[in-house]
Amino acid sequence: MIQLEGIEKVYRTERIETVALTNINMNVGEGEFISIMGPSGSGKSTLLNVIGLLDVPTGGKVALNSKPVTSYSDRNLARVRNEEIGFVFQTFHLINDLNVVDNVEIPLLYRKGISSGERRKLALRALDRVGLHARVHHFPGQLSGGQQQRVAIARAIVGNPRILLADEPTGNLDSQMGDEIMDVLRGLNENEKTTVVMVTHDPRQAEKTERVVRLFDGRQVS
Amino acid sequence: MTKHLLKLVWNRKRINFLITVEIFFSFIVLFGVVLAAVYYVDNYRQPLGFNYENAWRVAVEMNNRAEGSHSSQSSQTDINAPKEPSEKAEPPSATTFKQLMAAAKEFDEIEGVATCTVTPYGDGTDTSSIGDDSNPIRYGVSMVSDDFPQVLGLTLTRGRWFGKEDDGANYRPVVINERLSRDVFGDADPLGKELRRPDLPPKQEEEKSTPMRVVGVINEFRKDGEYTAPDNFLFRRQLLNNQMSREPNALMLKVRPGTTAEFEEKVIKRFQAIAKDWSFEIEPVTKMRETANTFRLAPLIAGGLVAGFLMLMVAMGLTGVLWQNVTQRTKEIGLRRAKGATARRIHKQILAELIIIATFGLIFGVAAVVQFPLLDVIGDINSRVFSLSIVISLAVIYALTVICGLYPSWMATKVQPAEALHYE
Repeated sequence: MIQLEGIEKVYRTERIETVALTNINMNVGEGEFISIMGPSGSGKSTLLNVIGLLDVPTGGKVALNSKPVTSYSDRNLARVRNEEIGFVFQTFHLINDLNVVDNVEIPLLYRKGISSGERRKLALRALDRVGLHARVHHFPGQLSGGQQQRVAIARAIVGNPRILLADEPTGNLDSQMGDEIMDVLRGLNENEKTTVVMVTHDPRQAEKTERVVRLFDGRQVS
Repeated sequence: MTKHLLKLVWNRKRINFLITVEIFFSFIVLFGVVLAAVYYVDNYRQPLGFNYENAWRVAVEMNNRAEGSHSSQSSQTDINAPKEPSEKAEPPSATTFKQLMAAAKEFDEIEGVATCTVTPYGDGTDTSSIGDDSNPIRYGVSMVSDDFPQVLGLTLTRGRWFGKEDDGANYRPVVINERLSRDVFGDADPLGKELRRPDLPPKQEEEKSTPMRVVGVINEFRKDGEYTAPDNFLFRRQLLNNQMSREPNALMLKVRPGTTAEFEEKVIKRFQAIAKDWSFEIEPVTKMRETANTFRLAPLIAGGLVAGFLMLMVAMGLTGVLWQNVTQRTKEIGLRRAKGATARRIHKQILAELIIIATFGLIFGVAAVVQFPLLDVIGDINSRVFSLSIVISLAVIYALTVICGLYPSWMATKVQPAEALHYE
């Protein structure tokens, strides 16, 4: 499903050159649930951004479903991000001026051929899937951290992506809420065969995934 | 997407309030200037009714009061009121005027000469009205001699100019403009009709015995020039004889093309020799026009400069506010990119949001300016000029808004999604 080959990522400024990733080779199969672990600054989020086509690698190839996407235009990358990939972030990234259901609708705004009525229906269904159907007209500020992350997950899955990328989804939550979020992710993986790649610091959460990829100083160590 | 953006803008109304207010006030100021400009342009495009080229005005000041009852050029009195026919001999001022006109005609450089009481682009104004006080039809008046149309190139659309055939008539011949004809007679032919007031007070009963009769119609005569609104106008016949109801205060000369200013001195010397106690001042009508137009355009230019400066301030303010707005929304932009928005889409979204915010300000702006005619604060400006001014002002503000939004929205597209999501 996801193939990474010789991925390099170097951040360059006028004075400093920072190597974030070195020779990462990785395959994620369809329906897999893997976690990426490593200390801070080891390149976990950078790797996730490269997989999610949010960042361009300095070297190497990224392929989704055997199609190389590294040289895609901005338009094609946006389409793939919209249709194939769902993102969940540690800080939720909800738009505070939009209510829950409007936040969840966002990915569908960038998809052609969906009416506003259909958008609303799909958003409500996604919220139902994460157990938040009773909070659709609340604003993010009126929700707990766990509820906000559920909204973010609903937003990530509303377009039925085949890949879900989660960047420390439980990082800002207490353990109980973290477990609830993990249950949601596992449910999506098991019931809907969504491929999940999760970055985490928490070994307890990592244990719940099928495979752990470890990074250290930008290198893949296991 | 539009609904989404409307919702977003509405939910951020507190943040967007300042921009809305800024746009509202900019629109009001701009509208004022545009309205004046459109009004002037609209007036300028309409026929002037006379030819000011090679026309000179000789202002006449009769210093010796004994020669006639000189009246000020600026007057609001009714000069149409008839004077009692006099049995007296011709007044000396009439004789002098005849001598002056005859002397002027002797010069090869002068093609025509006429007298008048109101000169084009001059300060003086005579007005009168027809009808009762509740609904009067007002018009400007000038008493002119028979040669006046040749001197200023007036063109008749109907009838004739007054002349010798009117000598001794039991009516006072008048030439009116089409506008006045429409106001008084509607679509009917005014020729031969009496220009009468329906409700004459007793003291003016005599007017019935020598009524004003329309002998000709001209297209237009805009005495104050091309920047003023066309108005009703009437010419009465100036008789230089014992029935002279009012002395002329100017001679209008039609000079040959290329006649220089040195000739002015020659004319004045000649005139001075005829009327030693009188004083004369010659000014080409083109120069009077220039002065009058500068005077009329000055407020517009000043207003334009103020509006231009304000627009510049608004543009800088808007750009700054938008830049800040975009910076504050970097994470949101990153999120939208992550969720499938292209850079172009983000660019369009920011501009669209700005247009929506501007529209809110402009709705209030238009609602405010449409009150102006109701409150009678803009005078007699027609609805076409008013509507066009609104449209132009709206277009300028929208254009300004879009231009101000281009750079910040372009900047927004330059941020990589991964960077934007981690922007602090």
